[in-house]
Amino acid sequence: MQALQGVSFDVKKGEFLVIIGLSGSGKSTLLRCINRLHDPTSGEIIFGGKNVAKISGSDIRTLRKKVGMIFQQFNLIPRHSVLSNVLMGRLGSMKVFPSLLGLFTEQDKKNAMKYLQLVGIDDKARIRADQLSGGQQQRVAIARALTQDPQILLADEPVASLDPATCHTVMDYLKKVNQELGITIVCNLHFLSLVRQYATRVIALQAGKIVYDGSPHEIDDAWFERIYGVGAREVHIN
Amino acid sequence: MGVKLFSFVQFSSAAFRRTIFDGLSFGFLLAIALLVILKPGDEQMLDMKTNGFVFSGLFLVSVLISLILNKNGIRTLGEHIFEPDHKKGQQIETSWYYTLWGWQLVILLLVTFGVGLDKTRFSLNELLDEDGFDGAVRLFNGIFHPNFTLLPKAILNIVETIFMAFMATFLAIPLAFVLSFFCAKNIMKGPFLFSIYLFLRTLLNVTRSVEALIWAIIFSVWVGIGPFAGMLALMIHSVASLAKQYSEMVEAVSEGPIEGIQATGATQMQTIWYAIVPQVILPYVSFTMYRWDINVRMATIIGLVGGGGIGTMLIQYQGASYVARSWLYYLSDCSCRLDFGSILSSITFCPQVESLACDFDFLSFLSGFKIFFCC
Ligand SMILES: Nc1ncnc2c1ncn2[C@@H]1O[C@H](COP(=O)(O)OP(=O)(O)O)[C@@H](O)[C@H]1O
Ligand SMILES: [Mg+2]
Repeated sequence: MQALQGVSFDVKKGEFLVIIGLSGSGKSTLLRCINRLHDPTSGEIIFGGKNVAKISGSDIRTLRKKVGMIFQQFNLIPRHSVLSNVLMGRLGSMKVFPSLLGLFTEQDKKNAMKYLQLVGIDDKARIRADQLSGGQQQRVAIARALTQDPQILLADEPVASLDPATCHTVMDYLKKVNQELGITIVCNLHFLSLVRQYATRVIALQAGKIVYDGSPHEIDDAWFERIYGVGAREVHIN
Repeated sequence: MGVKLFSFVQFSSAAFRRTIFDGLSFGFLLAIALLVILKPGDEQMLDMKTNGFVFSGLFLVSVLISLILNKNGIRTLGEHIFEPDHKKGQQIETSWYYTLWGWQLVILLLVTFGVGLDKTRFSLNELLDEDGFDGAVRLFNGIFHPNFTLLPKAILNIVETIFMAFMATFLAIPLAFVLSFFCAKNIMKGPFLFSIYLFLRTLLNVTRSVEALIWAIIFSVWVGIGPFAGMLALMIHSVASLAKQYSEMVEAVSEGPIEGIQATGATQMQTIWYAIVPQVILPYVSFTMYRWDINVRMATIIGLVGGGGIGTMLIQYQGASYVARSWLYYLSDCSCRLDFGSILSSITFCPQVESLACDFDFLSFLSGFKIFFCC
């Protein structure tokens, strides 16, 4: 069985690309192939002029440094402080020994605080990560990804475990990152209403194939039924 | 097709277990019957070749019996125990005394109990024998009339015992810590690493299956009788046990933080340090305390075979007066029962340690009595 088949698309610099599709349609697989948390069995993934589908070892780490990622479950280290979690974004650029001793530079710390400020959570820097609410944790995760200084940010259903209000806060920060820092964003989403609000472009997956690629505003009821199946109803969150 | 294959495999593994179980249980009964009828002499009992041959024969006969019985729809105990789930509840309910498996169980228990009585030379006569009982009473009285001239030496030896346990645990921690990552399946991915994993796991299993008591004997020959030998024995045993427990913790960590760190471009080493270690550090601490607790108790026993400390002193006074001896038994038991587990658990508020320590207290209670009566 193949999770993705014949999927081909370009992402332009500065885009806010949203991928939608039913659960199991291959959204996560697609995203995780880009930073090689999954190994694609065949095909090409061109990043920065280089095919990264078949690289290995330290090349993968170099790739991941330039590709930030945030997850549905935030994936912070619960027992570390918020600041320490954000600093972990620097691990890929550090020598192993100082990194194990936690010897982050002053510049790193300054940057980390800057990004915490950007996502509006710098007052929580000294608190343990597991003391924060879901939405706050996701903002810390965004800050961690930003400290990597990435060219592109992958977001795998970043708001799927958040309540509707927090949902918008996190999406707003992603939009800010996209517009103010000019970082390209590729984001998996469930809710179509969010898609229309934030995406500059949409790709819809169905059973591992692209069934729609275009503007978020052209997805009408007919398209909606095609993507989510006949009889599906759109849920609005405000 | 897939389902069929699956149910076939399941059936055959259940049938296999049933047959082995019945083979052993019928074989056991037949062998006992044979022993009772033939009453072989000591020489015959030591003749392993013939006996092995006879027992294998009995086992095969029993396997045949089991197969034939089950083929004809008569449930054996093995079938009753290992019956696959999908066949459960299909037969008519009958009282156990109308079934073969019921009688098989009863007879098996009775015969095993009978053989147990014989093998342990169970004897009410000995238990009620007056001379013997007086001896035990005298020994017990010794506890209440301590020989204080031995006390200073005994105290020094108890301190030695406790430090043996401390050093063994202390030195085992870093070794077990490093080993635990090499013994975790979720880290050792890929054929090369996995073969290292298999090798280390096997090595640790073998090391652990050799009792600390045996290690103490080996080391007392190697480095000489004394606390050093005892400490090494405890340490080796602790490394093997801790590494296993630690690595199981590593295998149980959640994937999320690992991916979170990996996605930043971190190396394997950084991922382990930042994503795995914080998840396992608390269980590590509680396992380590439990191990220390065990080591303090074990250190006493190990002394008996030349591992130093209070145990060795006990052996040295084997031939001494009743009073001196029983006083020492008591002291060694006390050092066994310095309850580190519950003290530490109340300091650390870690209920896991507490419950483990409770379990262990019961054991140490028993082992205390064992020392008391066996020496
Ligand atoms: N580790 C895996 N091994 C094998 N198949 C997987 C694995 N993860 C996901 N799949 C399968 O790949 C398909 C796509 O999954 P996924 O990318 O997680 O979908 P989505 O994120 O859109 O819910 C699903 O059919 C799923 O069953
Ligand atoms: Mg998914």
